[in-house]
Amino acid sequence: MLDSLAIAIGMVHIAAAIALLNGVTTTFGQAKIAAQAIESIARQPEAADSIRTAMFIGLALAETSGIYGLLIAIIMLFANPLVGTLVKLIESTL
Amino acid sequence: MDLNIDNLLVIKIAGVEIWITETIFNTWLIMLLLVALAVVARIKLRRFKEVPTGFQNVIEAAVELFDNFAVDTLGEKLSYIAPWFFMVFSFILSSAWLSIFGMRAPTADWVTTFALALATFILMIFMGFKHRRGNYLQSLFEPHPIFFPLNLIGELAKPVSLSFRLFGNMLSGTIILTLYYALTPRFVQFGIPALLHGFFDILIGSLQTYIFVIVSLMYIKSAAE
Repeated sequence: MLDSLAIAIGMVHIAAAIALLNGVTTTFGQAKIAAQAIESIARQPEAADSIRTAMFIGLALAETSGIYGLLIAIIMLFANPLVGTLVKLIESTL
Repeated sequence: MDLNIDNLLVIKIAGVEIWITETIFNTWLIMLLLVALAVVARIKLRRFKEVPTGFQNVIEAAVELFDNFAVDTLGEKLSYIAPWFFMVFSFILSSAWLSIFGMRAPTADWVTTFALALATFILMIFMGFKHRRGNYLQSLFEPHPIFFPLNLIGELAKPVSLSFRLFGNMLSGTIILTLYYALTPRFVQFGIPALLHGFFDILIGSLQTYIFVIVSLMYIKSAAE
């Protein structure tokens, strides 16, 4: 009854979900950057413009790891080159 | 809107197949609009007045705003490369705004963003050699020659991370909007998507354009100084 392609696709979806879990840490880092920036602006309102620029650059750099996770998930779901190999592997073990 | 990048036409030149995809079509559309705008601005430039009004005001404000931004980021000495980044800025911004009209943004294809990031990378190396000569090459071997492989990987990762950041943001907006249009009934597809377009295309698009340009400028500044 077990369909090897269904098992392979299910495994791929679980792997994509795990790859997206790094959004948790990315969001935490971005929250920390924003909190610190707001704190600095509250302490020194005349430097708000330069602090805002630095905050946006910091947010963008921290976002990179989240974007990598998203791209890995998208590649695994839509353009996975290894599904054929995985199906063959599962068929040989079943 | 579709998740795939459709292939519109295949042209064969001397046995080599050239695929005209949706990305290329939309890129040329944006290029056409920007070139037309530039030509109109150039023709109107002859009749520019001392005190600007209307169209002249918009053009002067855009150029002046970007010039000040480039001088603030790069410094007076390096700011002569600002025109190239003004072009990159207007191209990425208008390609993000293209998806408001239901067309696929060219920057939601890795090919476009990698081409732009590769141009930044080549410009970075060129500016490094132009302004620092041997010192630029030597900076790869610091603090000790044993760090050369690490420094090389760090340099080569710059265009990749720059292109992936823009591509990932644009693609995630495209995917969410495609899912919304595909999964909801017809009667909620009027009005409500305007909010999603406003957030993903205008807000995120403008922010990512700004970040792409400012990170490129900072790479160039760190290479040239």
